[in-house]
Amino acid sequence: MQVKVLIFGQLTDITGLSELLVTDVSTSNELIESLTGKYPELATAKYVVALDKKVISQETQLPDNSTVALLPPFSGG
Amino acid sequence: MTERKPKNIFKDGPIPASFIAESIQKHSTQKAIGGHSIFLGQVRADETEKGVVSAIEYTAFEEMALEKMHLIREDIFAKYPLTCMHVHHSLGTVEAGEICLFVFTSSAHRKAAINACEETVERLKAELPVWGKEIIGGESHQWKVNR
Repeated sequence: MQVKVLIFGQLTDITGLSELLVTDVSTSNELIESLTGKYPELATAKYVVALDKKVISQETQLPDNSTVALLPPFSGG
Repeated sequence: MTERKPKNIFKDGPIPASFIAESIQKHSTQKAIGGHSIFLGQVRADETEKGVVSAIEYTAFEEMALEKMHLIREDIFAKYPLTCMHVHHSLGTVEAGEICLFVFTSSAHRKAAINACEETVERLKAELPVWGKEIIGGESHQWKVNR
């Protein structure tokens, strides 16, 4: 069980990298918990979670080899 | 309506004025058009507590942004009688004073072009996963906040 995590924008200031692999998590909440354990500042950061390019708003089962993206507030244009 | 495929809107670096001029020129063959509307976003040298913004470095979740832009495009074409729409957004470094966003809508009459252009700009700023890192004095940075 492996999930690819993509990190964008200001969140990369916290993680220091833009991509990582997380194993042994089965839901989005477990993933966020694991990431927040590793990067405590994520707990107070503002972002939404996208699973395979779709924003999710509640705990969701993560398929093997799926891609989860952490998206802070957009600031294009 | 014919189905439109997702187009790439991203361009590395600033959008040159010559590119914008050529884009306008290309429409001279489309004689059903009676009005164009163009929005150009330019990087502003904001004064911040840390210093003056010298450039913005843009990054995006490109795949998701292109899918989202495709949906916005479909919505706008369904709502307004447009002849065409072109959107270009910079990635990477754009210096203060340079163009980072080019939205170009054309229609038989002005109102559809103007309203579609405005709505497209508002929606893409709110909905596309794109981020601007404001470079301050070449060493410090802060993240752009859209208002």
